[in-house]
This record gives sequence, C-alpha cells and structure tokens, in this order.
Amino acid sequence: MFTELNSILNTTPDSFTQGEFVLLSDRQSDASFLIHHFLSLYLRARCRVWFVGLVQSFNHYSAISQRLGVSLTQAKEKGQLVFLEGLKESLSVLIPEDTDPGSQAMDFLRDPAVGLKSLYEFVRSSATSSAVGKHEEAEEKWGPPVLLVDDLSVLLSLGVSVGAVLDFSHYCRATVCSQLQGNMVMLSRCDGGEEEDDGDDEGSERLLKGLTHQCSLTLHVQGLPTGYCRDIHGQVEVCWRRRQGDGHHTQKKLFQYKVHDKGASFFAPGTSSAVL
Amino acid sequence: MLPELLQGTDAGGFLIIQDSASYSGRHLLKSFINAALNREEAVHVLGFEVSEEELKDGLKGSPVQRLHFHNAYSDPLGWTDQPAFTVHQFRLEELTRLVKQTSHPKPATLVIDSLSWILRHLSPPAVCKTLQQLRKGGSVRAIIGLLHADMHQRGTVGSVCHLATSVITVAPGMKGDGAVAKITKRSKSGKVVLDEVIFSIKDDLTVVVQSKPSQLGPKQIDPEEQETDPTANLTFNLRLSNTEREAKEKLALPFVFSKEKKIALLHSSPGSGRILYEPDANDDYDQEDPDDDLDV
Repeated sequence: MFTELNSILNTTPDSFTQGEFVLLSDRQSDASFLIHHFLSLYLRARCRVWFVGLVQSFNHYSAISQRLGVSLTQAKEKGQLVFLEGLKESLSVLIPEDTDPGSQAMDFLRDPAVGLKSLYEFVRSSATSSAVGKHEEAEEKWGPPVLLVDDLSVLLSLGVSVGAVLDFSHYCRATVCSQLQGNMVMLSRCDGGEEEDDGDDEGSERLLKGLTHQCSLTLHVQGLPTGYCRDIHGQVEVCWRRRQGDGHHTQKKLFQYKVHDKGASFFAPGTSSAVL
Repeated sequence: MLPELLQGTDAGGFLIIQDSASYSGRHLLKSFINAALNREEAVHVLGFEVSEEELKDGLKGSPVQRLHFHNAYSDPLGWTDQPAFTVHQFRLEELTRLVKQTSHPKPATLVIDSLSWILRHLSPPAVCKTLQQLRKGGSVRAIIGLLHADMHQRGTVGSVCHLATSVITVAPGMKGDGAVAKITKRSKSGKVVLDEVIFSIKDDLTVVVQSKPSQLGPKQIDPEEQETDPTANLTFNLRLSNTEREAKEKLALPFVFSKEKKIALLHSSPGSGRILYEPDANDDYDQEDPDDDLDV
C-alpha cells in the first residue's frame, strides 16, 4: 500500500468509496505495482478479496505483499482472500487429472469461443455465497467484497475475444459493484503505440477503450515521453470519470512516479528529488 | 442549437449522442432525460451500462415517477436464471410491449444507454432495422441513444448515424469543465444544419452553452487559437503614450550619424592631439612597377 497514492486518490483503508470500478492500464510500461498496492490496501481495509491472478503465481504476489507488510498466506487461511491461480488452474484444464475435476473457472481455455461465463460463475458464486454469510461461524466481519484481476489482456492472448472480456467485466461490475456495493480493480495492458488504429494490436486497444467506458476511475501508466530515466520510472495519469461532488465530470491529474523496494513515490511532473 | 434540441425533439425524432473514451456523453444524456421529464413526458430508459440506482442518483431533483427503467444492466446476456431484459430481446415487438406496459396518455421517449452494447452483440443491420421500425411505429415519440463511437468500426457508426435526425458528438473541452459538442441536425425537408458549441452541465443537469468556438466556414479555426490573444497578459507594454513617443523620438540611436555627431568627431576640441604627416621618399611606392626600388 502506497500512502502517497492513497492521498492522491483520497482513500484510506478505513474509508474508501464503495461500488467503484478502478481500471489500471499501461502502455509500453508496467502497471503491476499498482495491483500490489490495491491488493494490500483492500486486505488492510478488511475487505474480502477475490484475486484472479492470470499472469503470476501465488508465491510472486505473496512475496511482494510481504514486503508491503501484508501476509497473503494468512489472509488466505483466514478466508479473507480467495486466490484463483490462473497458471495452475489452466494446467489442470489442459492436462486433466482424472481424480480432481477442479474448478470450472478456467474452462474457457478449452473453447475460447464460448466466452467467460464460467469465470464469471466462479466470481459470482464465491462472492454471493460469502455475502449471505457462509463464513459466519465465529469469524470476523469482513468489509465489502473486492475483485482484482491481473490482467485482462492476457485473456486476449488465450483466444478470448474482446467482446467476451468486456461482457465478463460488465457482469463482474453488475455483481460486485452494483449488487454487492464492492469494488473492482482490473489491469489491462496495451503494447501498441498511442496513435494506432486498425493495426495489429487492435484487440487490446479496443479492450482498453471498452473498459474505460465502464469504469469510474482510471490509472494509466506510461513511460516517460522523453525516454528512460533512472530516477523517474514513468508517469501515471489519474482520471476520475464519475461526477464528483465538486461538479467536474472528468478530472485528470498527471503524476510521475518512482517504484522503490518497499513502496513507490508519486510527485508532480518535474518535481523529482533528482531534478530539484 | 443545443438548447433547441433539449427543448424537445420532434415526434419521430432520433437523436444520437456520440462520445469517446476521453469524454463521456452520459451526463448530456442525463440532461436530456431530465429535460424530457420536466416536460412531463414518460421516459423509458433501456439501461445496459448503468444500474437503476446509479442513473436515478444522477437525476436527483427530477420528477422520476415518470421514469421507467428497464433493467438490461444486471443480466444482458441471460447468464443468470432470471434475466429482466436481454440484448436479444432488442426487437420491435418486445420494445413496444415494454413501452406499452405503462399507461400514459402521451407517447413516450425511449432512451437507450447505450447503443454500443447492442451493436456489440447484434448485427448492425438488425439494430438499424429495429431502430427504424421503432421510429416509424408510433409507439415511441422520440428515441435518444448513446453511442461510444470509438468502440465500433467507422462504417457501423456511420450507418447508425444515418438513421438519426440529430447527432451530437461530444469531446472534451480545452479548459475547465466545458465540453465541445458538434451537432448535425437533419430537418424533414432534407436540410442539414451543422453547429458547434462549447457547453457545460450544471449540477441540476441544465445545460449551459458557453460560447460558439467558431463559425462553420470553409476553414475551421482551432477554438484554442481563436480564443487566446497573444498580446494579452504581457509583462511589458506594447503601446506608447504621447509623452513616451516624444521621448523616444528625441533619443538618438548610438550608431546613427547625425550632423552634430560627425562634427564632434571630425573637429576635435583645442588642446587635444593632432596627426601630422610628412611624406617619406620610401613611401612613394609605384603601383605599376613594384620592383622600382630594386638596384638591378
């Protein structure tokens, strides 16, 4: 959890807006440090977290969260965190072992054309079942549910169409954000250049646009336009898309950031400590 | 022209609000819903992209009892057991049935949020056909649709917009919370009127037209270019008062030779040094015969 980012977004583990859909995106850069931020933020906020990790193993997230001061293993044992390890699950789908049928969540791998209904079913069934209080027995009260997905664009590489991914995110939003008043954080990456229309990378570009239309807050990470720099790792554009209290429809802010070993610092463009 | 459109589209009108990822047209759509509600019309919203709570949250202060929300948001594809309205029900019969459900003397306005959702799942010709039938069917007075233009191929956007009587394309403005709206209106006679305005939406969803960025001429000027005056807010003064001008004209510039300056330089004052020249024989140098001094 990065406290500087919390103050930018006006959130703390104790108080955050519910029903938000946060879209993380990056272009020729890496926004995954933001995923770790939100993961640790919501675990500290005592939310129940569903994490769909499609690009890294549980140990990877666990090791980084440890550095940020949150233990994923403990959270998992307490039932606070539900971790869908996409890498392992997909292996069991592709090389089925007859003993354990496993979950149905990754069934789309066999036939990407059917869409992501099975993955959504996993989210819905586990989220709604906990909401009615399956884990009630003498356990702590958890806050609103949170769904994190890292990352959506990998689904495109697995053969799922853009429309199917957008349907999936729409259903997740309808269930998690609207029905259960929880939050949702999704990462989507885009490798192509800014001004690329109808090119090869059309899929991820369209996905990003579609998700932008759905979400309420975007954090878009880019490299510096002037190239690599040792002290500034890139810039992140924060854009609030919902009508805020002060009457602005869309509010945009640009920050530069540097990722440290434990955390990250955010500052206004041009005010890096290396420059001043 | 934006206020006129808000005042009420004609019967059989079909208005499309086109937006992109950089600026959402939903606020303007809400303004249209608000305006229709205030005219005491029944409004049916076919909501794919926002939930009923979220929509009504934005319409605080409007008479929402005439607003009928048809929930296509929670389950548009029928993935759960009890879908309220799926995208495949987007047909003339189903929509007419929905609108006729409520008894209201006046034909209603149908708001579709958004057409993009439908276009993603149904073929564009089918969508266009349904829209056209709805317009001509008489069960709805007007249709207002939101369309995310950057989600579709240009041809799809074009063919849907051809059906519309008015198209409003919104884009982010240059400064503040103003946004730019490009309006194309086709009247029944076939005349096409184009307009471009900068507008902002207040908290009570009324639309304020701030200015017209440019007149539509053969060449459009960038709104930013036209607005900014380069001579405004300068740190120095570009204009001269009369006394300043006199002072300026009096001043002699350093490298301009006036008569006084020449005299001052050529006639040195008494007591100063003077150059005396006595011709020397050796100095008598003949250009024509440079070797004249050689003793050959």
